[in-house]
Amino acid sequence: MAVRAAEPPVTAVPDAGPRGSVLGELVRFSRRNMLAAIGGLVGVLTIVVALAAPLLAPYDPLKADFRHMNKPPNAQHVLGTDQVGRDTLSRVIYGARTSLFVAFSAVILGTTVGSLWGVACGYLRGRFDLVSQRIMEILQAFPDLILAMAISMAIGTGLQAVIFAIAITRIPFGGRVIRSVALSIREMPYVEAGRASGGSALRIMVFHVLPQCIAPYLVLATTHLGVAIVIEAALGFLGVGVPPPTPTWGNMLADSITALVPPWWLAFFPGLAITLTVLAFNLLGDGIRDTLDPRLSPAFLRMMAGGRRR
Amino acid sequence: MRKYLARRAVYAVVTLLGVSLSIFVILRVLPGDPLVAILGVEGHARMTKEDRVRIMADLGLSAPLPVQYARWLRDIGAGQLGKSFFRGDTVAELIAHRGPITAEIAVLALIVSWIVGLPVGILSAFKPNSMPDGVARTLSVLFIAIPGFWLGMLIVLALLFWFGWKSPIIIVHVWQDPWQNLQIVMGPGIVLGLAQGAYIARMSRSCLLEVISEDFVRTARAKGLREGLVVMRHALPNALLPVITISGVLLGFVLGGSVAVETAFGVPGLGRSLVTAVIERDIIVVQNLVLLYAVIFVVVNVLVDLSYAWLDPRIRYS
Repeated sequence: MAVRAAEPPVTAVPDAGPRGSVLGELVRFSRRNMLAAIGGLVGVLTIVVALAAPLLAPYDPLKADFRHMNKPPNAQHVLGTDQVGRDTLSRVIYGARTSLFVAFSAVILGTTVGSLWGVACGYLRGRFDLVSQRIMEILQAFPDLILAMAISMAIGTGLQAVIFAIAITRIPFGGRVIRSVALSIREMPYVEAGRASGGSALRIMVFHVLPQCIAPYLVLATTHLGVAIVIEAALGFLGVGVPPPTPTWGNMLADSITALVPPWWLAFFPGLAITLTVLAFNLLGDGIRDTLDPRLSPAFLRMMAGGRRR
Repeated sequence: MRKYLARRAVYAVVTLLGVSLSIFVILRVLPGDPLVAILGVEGHARMTKEDRVRIMADLGLSAPLPVQYARWLRDIGAGQLGKSFFRGDTVAELIAHRGPITAEIAVLALIVSWIVGLPVGILSAFKPNSMPDGVARTLSVLFIAIPGFWLGMLIVLALLFWFGWKSPIIIVHVWQDPWQNLQIVMGPGIVLGLAQGAYIARMSRSCLLEVISEDFVRTARAKGLREGLVVMRHALPNALLPVITISGVLLGFVLGGSVAVETAFGVPGLGRSLVTAVIERDIIVVQNLVLLYAVIFVVVNVLVDLSYAWLDPRIRYS
């Protein structure tokens, strides 16, 4: 199993940087995959903005200023202010914090649980696999957003509730994709060798099967970041996400439509932030998929589409 | 075929039982007293103990959980879905009144997605890596990333701002006034349809490209068949199967997405009712509506699987 992709047959680009160095690999990746590199760059920038929010935001995102209410974008407030005079730019910057934190936590939690479960299903097979598959089928029978809404309603709105709710909707994807990977790895001679030399099931899963699942895991996690950001935004927009006053991109959009005629800048900029971030992570995900395992892509797509059958 | 059908039906019923059980469990782990959740702490404190007991019994919430679950299933079987705690109308009425709007939106979205997505996908696959292909792929990547509810908000704002036009916010059914009805469902239908169309375009492009490299396509070309005929008659039918499947999966996006998009457009569909019920913690309504969404999603996917088996005998007999 070649985890790292073979070099493409026609390499017009000369190798930059020493082979094997992280920087060199990154440069090679970006030469081959321009869009993904841009996506990655934007993604990293968004993360930096989120982390450095207190340094970058010109105003306090929660502080109302009644002398500057409902102002369109101007020199002092580059992206305008909302109905109580809070600075939109500062709120979008702080919103990145909450939105990205929720999305990352949810995806890491959900995909990891799903993937570990998937490894166990694929390796152990039998009755455990059969029951697990039914459970995942049940989870996938709900439209994502609706399941997330119901769960976050049940365990109370709040940061953790939203993370947990989105994470649960991600579990079956990890479970299905990684299961099929584990199914194929299980038949590999080296795994059989491990079994023959008396390795326990747990040992083989952890040391022989799991490492081979890292590449698909990364692809999966990156692809689902975008989905998680959108679900978080939708929950916030519908008023069942992270509660105000904490700014998130979703609840900023919800705030904007409370006005009879919503000011355009309040409706536009948070949504733009969502779109750009989702776009960036999607492009990055596609690029990683093509690089890590080019053979994965059509099969992967089909799995996302028709995995139910097998 | 009959055996396959029976197996799929059994799976679907098992899944749906599991679905109903999980909704029930999820909503009953509500921390604390459901009455507090419904009435708020103050409202709850103001009531006498007898009132509380009476209302709990009235809502059917005081029985042991397994009994409640069994009753719920029995009621569904009898076509009785309980009623909203706040509005007094029954869930069945709610569905009959608002369901058609959401159903129309979903169907419209499906039609738009195929009308837009398929031709774009075919065009892309005809000349891969050409300029039109690049434009199509960029647009599809973009439309996958844009949240539908945000696009909806912007459209509503733009129409209001430039034309002073707002879609009707009352419920008008297609059999009452088709034109008014179209104005209501058009916006959400198109927005949801474009996002799905992007997936369809992507999927049909990649499937078509894969099929085009197969032997039977080469044979057709070697016979001297025109390229257009090779693609439309030989490649396309074989490439369409996964596209049909993904269309079924995309229905989940539409059902989930319509909840947010209906809110953005101010359309009084079933999704709006669900949001209201979730915010008001109207357990009975949430429980039944979530189940309804899941049932529709599962049933449609079974139908998609059946159509797949009908179109591709290899699946039927395996």
